[in-house]
Amino acid sequence: MVTGIARVKNKNGIHLRLAGELVKAATRFQSRVTVSKDGREVDAKSILGVAGLGAEFGSELQFRAEGSDENDAVAHLVSLVENEFARETN
Amino acid sequence: MDEAKIEKKEITFSGIPASPGIAFGEAFVVNVEEQPVAEEHIGAEEVDAEIDRFTSALAATETELGNLHRALEDEMGEEHGKILDTHRMILADEIMRGDTIRAIRERKVTAAYALHLTLDRVLTTFAGIKDEFLRERAADIRDVRRRVLHNLLGQKIEGFSALRKKAIVVARDLTPSDTAGIDKKYCLAFVTDSGGSTSHAAILARSAGIPAVVGLTDLSRHAKPHDQLIVDGITGTVILNPTPESIDMYREVQARYRELERELLTLRDYPAVTLDGHTIELSANIEVPDEVDDALSHGARGVGLFRTEYFFITRATLPGEEEQYRYYASVVKRMPSDPVIIRTLDVGGDKIARWVGDLEEANPFMGWRGIRFTLARTDIFRTQLRAIFRAAAHGNVKIMFPMVSVLEEVRLAREICEEVKEDLKRNRYQIGEKAEIGVMIETPAAVAIADHLAREVDFFSIGTNDLVQYALAVDRGNTKVSYLYDALHPGILRLLRDTVAAARKNKIWVGVCGEMPSSIQGALVLLGLGLDEFSAAPYLIPTIKKIVRSVTYDETRSLARKALGMGTAREVREHIERYIRDKRPELGEFLPEAAS
Repeated sequence: MVTGIARVKNKNGIHLRLAGELVKAATRFQSRVTVSKDGREVDAKSILGVAGLGAEFGSELQFRAEGSDENDAVAHLVSLVENEFARETN
Repeated sequence: MDEAKIEKKEITFSGIPASPGIAFGEAFVVNVEEQPVAEEHIGAEEVDAEIDRFTSALAATETELGNLHRALEDEMGEEHGKILDTHRMILADEIMRGDTIRAIRERKVTAAYALHLTLDRVLTTFAGIKDEFLRERAADIRDVRRRVLHNLLGQKIEGFSALRKKAIVVARDLTPSDTAGIDKKYCLAFVTDSGGSTSHAAILARSAGIPAVVGLTDLSRHAKPHDQLIVDGITGTVILNPTPESIDMYREVQARYRELERELLTLRDYPAVTLDGHTIELSANIEVPDEVDDALSHGARGVGLFRTEYFFITRATLPGEEEQYRYYASVVKRMPSDPVIIRTLDVGGDKIARWVGDLEEANPFMGWRGIRFTLARTDIFRTQLRAIFRAAAHGNVKIMFPMVSVLEEVRLAREICEEVKEDLKRNRYQIGEKAEIGVMIETPAAVAIADHLAREVDFFSIGTNDLVQYALAVDRGNTKVSYLYDALHPGILRLLRDTVAAARKNKIWVGVCGEMPSSIQGALVLLGLGLDEFSAAPYLIPTIKKIVRSVTYDETRSLARKALGMGTAREVREHIERYIRDKRPELGEFLPEAAS
């Protein structure tokens, strides 16, 4: 099992569309992937789950993956949130 | 047909006029309130059939969303289609599908109730989200739930496919996915509880030439299907269950409006020239590219103010260069030979974009807005300028900076323009290198240094709304002082005179893009003060043109000269009204009716 932490850097937080992008990215991996915020953990492959976290600007997300591509999954999702999503405002 | 013989009581609602015109008709109320779903149990042998019903409803909804998605993309562009993409993801979500099926199987309840349970849990989670913006995304989930439920219960979505005869569409709000399903030939008018004049419904109504009133607060809760309505898109009034007297009165208003409109539209292809041959440029204020059609059909020669904020504030994220380029170019390509004046981002004040972050200002109108904002966020500014210079390759684009109060702002902004142009050229982009650069005159300080400004820019455009509010120190949204807000205040006229004089002296042109020319008094005095260009909302253009074509420049000049010597706005107004009565009585119809 691999875990990784990402900080939400875009001003609007993980709103529905970004949650959708995150889910699309997570779905590409075989591993079971979850994401949690403030102790609440949801399936990273569910848009309702991810959007329901209400991950606002500045909040911290923890990814956890288990499976054949767990390393790649966590690295990719952390980078998605910290780099690509961050560019949404800049 | 109506069993109720008792007269329904007339109620008058007032909202924000969003698209002009008068409409009479029956209400077509879109059921926005969700129906409660009752807890209903099923037998064990019915479980599999119920699950099948549920999965077919999901499939039917998916087809429906797919069709809407395509329709919306065709109508409003790719960007607007994206929202339906997320709706489709919600539909396919494992929670949506899996949890609901599990509930049907384990609790032996109907699919409708199982879905209700599943999404209620999701919505409860959303309700606990601290961040307001993120919390409000729950609306999208409700939207999807509504669609699935309708398919499940075998009802046609109470949407607009049911609109099969002419009616007035009444809704709490209209989303792009709603309006994509509307057959406009059956729609007499739109009225909505929420929204401002730039809401989706308002823009759609204007481009379709249908009257609309928005911001009516709670009309949709009072209006029942088939209730009679009168919609006055000019004043923003909606009358529910009108009395015969009201109907008669509005029939007259409608007849007058139609006649005037017909007459005015015959002027479309004529220039705005006075009887003695003085021509002014008459151009349109627009907020979205779709309004170009409106501008052209009303006889505008170019765009005098293309507000770019709308594109930024209606979205959760900043648009990139390519996207902005396509957006601006779509306007320029429709008017390749007429000027299109693009105003750089004017956020702040009353329209703070979501992505600016927390911006608490005690006095936003004197705060971080217009060019102050873009010079601080040069990343946003440069991206926008790059997109504008590239769009300028397709026509006659001019760039305008809002809220200038000191000369350094102009110098800095021009420097950035030069850098952006150099960089674009180095990278072999086609650009409109010669695009004129101007400033908005909307602070009293800008008027006072207009001579200096005029030496460093190619044109002025006076934003009368802000200039009046800053010069008179009046917030017109404040009902205690709004009576003081008057563009005919002689102090304002003097500021306008000084601005024109500074422009003349430096041989640059000067226009006006606020609301001032929309009243006949304002239009006449601006004409007489020597403004070169008026820019106004498309639907106002025919009226202004008619006024300009009915007078001589000479007489408006002496009208303005006299007004400049007066002490009060009231004297100015009476002076102009006297002139109209004595010299140009045919213009009397443009005078607002005296409040009796």
